[in-house]
Amino acid sequence: MRKHKFSIKQGWFIERLGLVRGAALATAALLLLPFAATAQNGLRDIPDTAVEAQLKSFKLPEGAKINLFASEPLIEKPLHMNWDAKGRLWVVGSSMYPQIEPGAEENDKLFVIEDTDGDGVADKSTVFANDLYIPSSVLPGDGGVYIANSTEILFLKDTDGDGKADLRKVVLAGFGTEDTHHLVHTLRWGPEGMMWINQSIYIHTHIETPYGIRRLMGGGMWHFRPETGKAEVFMRGLVNPWGHAFDEWGQSFMTDGAGGNGINWVFPRGTWAATPGSARTLPGLNPGQPKHCGLEILSGKQVPEDYVGTMIAPDFRGHRVNRFKVTENGTSAYNSTQVEDLVSSSHRAFRPIDAKMGPDGAIYIADWYNPIIQHGEVDFRDPRRDHKHGRIWRVSFPGRDLEEKPEIEKADEAELVRLLNSNVGWVREQVIVEIRNRDPDKMETQLSSFGWAGNAKGYSKFLIRRLGALQAIGKPTDGLMEQLLSAEGIDPDPKARAAALRALYYAADSHEESKAIAEKAIADDHPRVRLWAVSVLAQLDDPDTVKIALRAFDGIEKPDVYLDFVVWNICREHKDKWLSQAEKTNPFESAKDLLFALRAVNSSIGGHQIFSALEKGEFKSDQEIADVADWAARTGTSLDPLFEFALADGRSPEQQITVLNALNDAAKLKKAVPQGDKTRLANFLKSENNGLFSAAANLAGPWKIEAARPDLEAAFLAAEKLPARADAALNGLRALGGPKTAQFLRKIASDDAASFQLRSLAVTGMIRMNPKVGAELAIPVLKSAPNGKDPHGIFDAILANKQGPPALVAELNKPENALPQEIALVGLQKASSAATKPQGLINAIQKAGNLKPMKMALTPPEMEAMMTLVAEKGDPHRGEKIYRRAALVCTACHAIGGAGGVIGPDLVSIGSSAPVDYLIDSLLQPSVKIKEGYHTVLVTLKNGDAFAGAIASETGDEIVIRDATGNENRIPKSEVAKKEISPVSLMPPGLTAQLREDEFVDLVRFMSELGKEGDFSTKPNRYVRHWKVLQPHERIRDEIGHYSEKIFAENDKTYVWTLLYSRVDGSLPMDDLPQQIGRGKNRYGVASFEIEVAAAGKVPLKIDAKLADTHLFIGEDKIELPKEGSQASIEIDVKKPGKHKITMAGLLNWGWDSVRVEIPSDATGVELVK
Amino acid sequence: MKRSALTLLSLFAASGIGIPQENLEAFQLKSDDSIIFVGNTFFERSQRYGQIETAIELAAGPEITGLKFRNLGWSGDSVFGDARSYFGAPKEGRDRLDKGMTELKPNVLFFCYGTGAAMSQGTDWTYEKTAQNRAAPTSFEAGLASFLEGYGQLIDRSKAAAGTQLREVVLISPPPLENLGAPLPDQFTNNKNIAKYRDAIRDLAKEKGAKFVDLFAAMGGDDFSGDTANPPLTDNGIHYGNAGYEKIGSALVTGLGMKLPEGLVDDTVQGKVAELRDAVVKKNRTFFHRWRPANETYLFLFRKHEQGNNAKEIPMFDPIVKEQESKIGELRTAVFEAARKG
Repeated sequence: MRKHKFSIKQGWFIERLGLVRGAALATAALLLLPFAATAQNGLRDIPDTAVEAQLKSFKLPEGAKINLFASEPLIEKPLHMNWDAKGRLWVVGSSMYPQIEPGAEENDKLFVIEDTDGDGVADKSTVFANDLYIPSSVLPGDGGVYIANSTEILFLKDTDGDGKADLRKVVLAGFGTEDTHHLVHTLRWGPEGMMWINQSIYIHTHIETPYGIRRLMGGGMWHFRPETGKAEVFMRGLVNPWGHAFDEWGQSFMTDGAGGNGINWVFPRGTWAATPGSARTLPGLNPGQPKHCGLEILSGKQVPEDYVGTMIAPDFRGHRVNRFKVTENGTSAYNSTQVEDLVSSSHRAFRPIDAKMGPDGAIYIADWYNPIIQHGEVDFRDPRRDHKHGRIWRVSFPGRDLEEKPEIEKADEAELVRLLNSNVGWVREQVIVEIRNRDPDKMETQLSSFGWAGNAKGYSKFLIRRLGALQAIGKPTDGLMEQLLSAEGIDPDPKARAAALRALYYAADSHEESKAIAEKAIADDHPRVRLWAVSVLAQLDDPDTVKIALRAFDGIEKPDVYLDFVVWNICREHKDKWLSQAEKTNPFESAKDLLFALRAVNSSIGGHQIFSALEKGEFKSDQEIADVADWAARTGTSLDPLFEFALADGRSPEQQITVLNALNDAAKLKKAVPQGDKTRLANFLKSENNGLFSAAANLAGPWKIEAARPDLEAAFLAAEKLPARADAALNGLRALGGPKTAQFLRKIASDDAASFQLRSLAVTGMIRMNPKVGAELAIPVLKSAPNGKDPHGIFDAILANKQGPPALVAELNKPENALPQEIALVGLQKASSAATKPQGLINAIQKAGNLKPMKMALTPPEMEAMMTLVAEKGDPHRGEKIYRRAALVCTACHAIGGAGGVIGPDLVSIGSSAPVDYLIDSLLQPSVKIKEGYHTVLVTLKNGDAFAGAIASETGDEIVIRDATGNENRIPKSEVAKKEISPVSLMPPGLTAQLREDEFVDLVRFMSELGKEGDFSTKPNRYVRHWKVLQPHERIRDEIGHYSEKIFAENDKTYVWTLLYSRVDGSLPMDDLPQQIGRGKNRYGVASFEIEVAAAGKVPLKIDAKLADTHLFIGEDKIELPKEGSQASIEIDVKKPGKHKITMAGLLNWGWDSVRVEIPSDATGVELVK
Repeated sequence: MKRSALTLLSLFAASGIGIPQENLEAFQLKSDDSIIFVGNTFFERSQRYGQIETAIELAAGPEITGLKFRNLGWSGDSVFGDARSYFGAPKEGRDRLDKGMTELKPNVLFFCYGTGAAMSQGTDWTYEKTAQNRAAPTSFEAGLASFLEGYGQLIDRSKAAAGTQLREVVLISPPPLENLGAPLPDQFTNNKNIAKYRDAIRDLAKEKGAKFVDLFAAMGGDDFSGDTANPPLTDNGIHYGNAGYEKIGSALVTGLGMKLPEGLVDDTVQGKVAELRDAVVKKNRTFFHRWRPANETYLFLFRKHEQGNNAKEIPMFDPIVKEQESKIGELRTAVFEAARKG
């Protein structure tokens, strides 16, 4: 075969850059390849469908065994499953997914499978229904079964005993179907006997209930009580919340199939990632962890003791089932740590999408079985989709006892109460389902009379279960919640108190003591109890709810975003109860409370009380000052007191900067300025502090302080010396505007003798002031750009306003204005990734730069050949090096397992979820496939300015757009002319244009290995993945002799530390470190990270590095390391709680080639800080 | 189950129970009429039972043929188009509905709205800004005023989008709710409020030159005492089941001044009616995939640049619907013949 050197045809071929066009050669290569006829998607790598092939692929922890429980034809493409009390497994499956074909009958099925002889293998299967359409969830109960069936939840029942449904009722209708992998799903019975229902991001649901219409626009979770018809939204957000489980204290945990936060702890009214229109979203517990479908909490004696209480979550992309240990951390929330997987596989069609414990105590895993998982990215009718296979696997621990399945349906009421106290989650869940259909009076009698014989600790748990059971049968719970909260006769346990409040949450409006209970609980020792107290208050119609809720912060030291959120949220939801009152007097107990509430609702009503408190010094810390400033800016309230505050003696530069930036926001967002003498702003321009100068310079423009002009001009002209000031000076000059600024900028821009930097900056300013003139001035500067680069953003300035592109097009169309190819390529990349799709500009730059027409797609034969190269020649280790190159900027936007930028999707399991052709396409043509949640929003203002990026948050009058560089742009909605979803990815095309073909192949290979079993699956170990590395500093060479290596650990403010991420395996390659010049030939690399400890004490660390030349410090204190070897487990003595910086320095040229640092998984009370 | 289909309906027809009629002297169907149902769960759910369509098919009589029914009911919808809006504001729902009107070229339009709005004290049944921004948005009056404003605009817009072939516009009042006893809620107050909506809709019909069917009265709403329904016609107090829709079908044709053919009570005829109704249900399901397909995001909305090529399959449902309709034509002929013989 000829060595086919075909081009990577993204973008524009610049032959002198070494890229050669080669479609003809690729065609030649094609002739020698198999599968040529199937062209389009390169049908290949279809895994062996045999059960044995999968069995061979599994890796399990010691003592565990996996066996096939059921396979096709006993089931078909399983999507979800649940057990009934008889121990039968109900499984829904869809061979029609992702879309019905015209002419096909709806024929998806519900199977009931049984293991009648108890050998751990299903031997009987009944088709209960066979006319369903993408049934995404199943839940037996109430004598029949509930099914999520696209737009509806149905109840099916077999009334004549033939094992098939003959009664059908629509229970809920109005679920959206905008995306069939988002359909209503994850039905589950809760400990209070309600049905819990999830839906995903694109689903918009409109349900008519007997209580009125309920809508949920986007992802979230509902609770529903079939007998009352009451359906309410519980929480909102998460992209694909495909897992939900209750721990034994009744707290809800969820997983997300696209969000990448591992385990999420959720509570009422919270808004998590991807909630449409939310001003604020909450984090999950494991940022950067794989994405999951399903969630189960382990219990019982079949699993090893240390598995009990851990959570298992199928990672369908990575072909594994992850396990998490969730522990208390003293806040309202939890810590979640990933521990050893339950099972992993190298079989590419193993897609675990549900996990449930079975009646025998073993773990059952539904395997959807498919080499292709997406239908947003991969064609609906892609032939590689599997529509036939499907498996249920059973993981057991043969050395341990199986559970005995109790006869729940035959049990009398007293026995049911006894079973309710089982330690086995499966039993409790089935008992709750059973008692829903028992005689409520008999059940109540037994629940009330059950004599507790266990210990006091267990008694509170029993009371919680009694409480849930009473709610499940619709009986009053008199006194129970009070007893749990007062801990009368039971062991005080915050988990029990939180559970009691959760029960009260559902009944808050009918329980007479709700307010009194919440008022008491708001002062509870434990933040989680306080959080639930606020949730109860949110349910009440009472004038004091917010006043009481604000007490939740009293005495809480540890930052708690969840508690902060619920209080913020009740301030908003109950605005009508307090805001009008704030006009005259503070409705709350302190000025701080009022500030918090006013900030929550973004109102200036009663603001004079805030300013008078500011004057009296009631707000002290920098944070409090910043909060006041931010509130004043956002509301545009009277700003004079704020300005006077900044001018007064004794303020720190930080406080002054905060205030000036806030005043700038107010001018920009609210068109609000102080009324007093504003020229005093010029005082700040004399400051030595660059930040303070910049803040004042930025403000001088909007405030029209002409007196500032000389200082601004001087600062601009000094750009080379003090670049930090130049941008702000330019902003100020531009905003001051007028002929003076135009003349000044024009002169510099057209001055051949001025530096490229100054000219560039002047041009950007001019473009923003007058696009036509700016574009004209831009051409000679662009032509003279050193190395064809545009470091000061001339093209960005052109693209920032809709008048920019036509102005530049007019210039470029002049025959004399040809551009050098390199700079044209820069412009083309920027224009092509602009959300505004400036086609005219793209064409003009191509012409002016003499770039070949854009052709980015590979032809099918080229794709074939490329995929073969990736498989045969690609080296993932080399590929990782290329991925990490600064010039490719991959890590700036993408994380792998949480290490990296947040602008694009986390790539942690991209290799195991996306086919190779998809990866190639996505690198070459980023806009062709855009992951859900990563679509670019384009906001055009009335003045033509365009902002593109992701919506970071949104309130009634403001929208915040996070752009591709991570900047958050705050935009007043009043100025928005248009908001649309752009079909253009934030990822610029042509990023890989600089690569040689072999490098591109390696890069793709690396990406295709991500998440697969092997070197490139992100291990759950707590490796340090976020490093700050020290940039070369002049001081080191001169002074290291004097201070020794301790110099690296000093808190020197002139040091510049930049972010660097570990490799997938957790190690940090020394090649990537900036070199510090030491004495003689010594070259040092210096990297640091932060830990946070809950209490003083010993912190264990595992270090892999050449220890002989490694120096380690905590703060500025040296930590002793063994003198030789390459691995050490040490303990650091940490003297106080909080954050601590740990610095590592090593001699690069003496064999120090990589380091890896890990906090052992069993270490508690210590976290890595990102 | 199937055997009893339309028995009640036939009894109504036979016994000639009086249904209040409003300005209906001229309601008339013609062969090949395109008939569109627009509303909330009331119409959406009726697709599963096929009773309303079957009743109209039969009441139209053997001389009228080729009727095409298109059910655009959507659970939780409002007169502003809330449920149809997908990712956007209600206006996008209205635009989608208008587009459907233009494509389907109706001769006859049935609207049924009001339940959700009447059950709310105020305007929280819609995301429509003009409703939310109304003075005292939590008052019943604000809710009703917004409803009427939206309903009037809906009628005007639909007429314009439908085109000149549109002959008949019929407003159907919401049917009454039922009390099914605790733990389901008491619907007494809601029914009183629906009655007020019914009155207002009747006036609106007059104002817009539309016809009106008082389904509220026909289904006993005016006589509602608050007693528990026995036997219930709804599943949960608000959504009717098969028996309920059977009665509604009958009430509707009577309210339109039409008559079901005689002789439907016969067992053989009932069998034929059941076959007809099954075919109607099947056709409705096919059409559902045509007008409200899953995966809209990829087929037609903001991710169509990814999987939009799959949208080519959607019009392929059209010939299938057509085929199913010719089957429906045959089955209804069979009913008429059987009824005539019987």
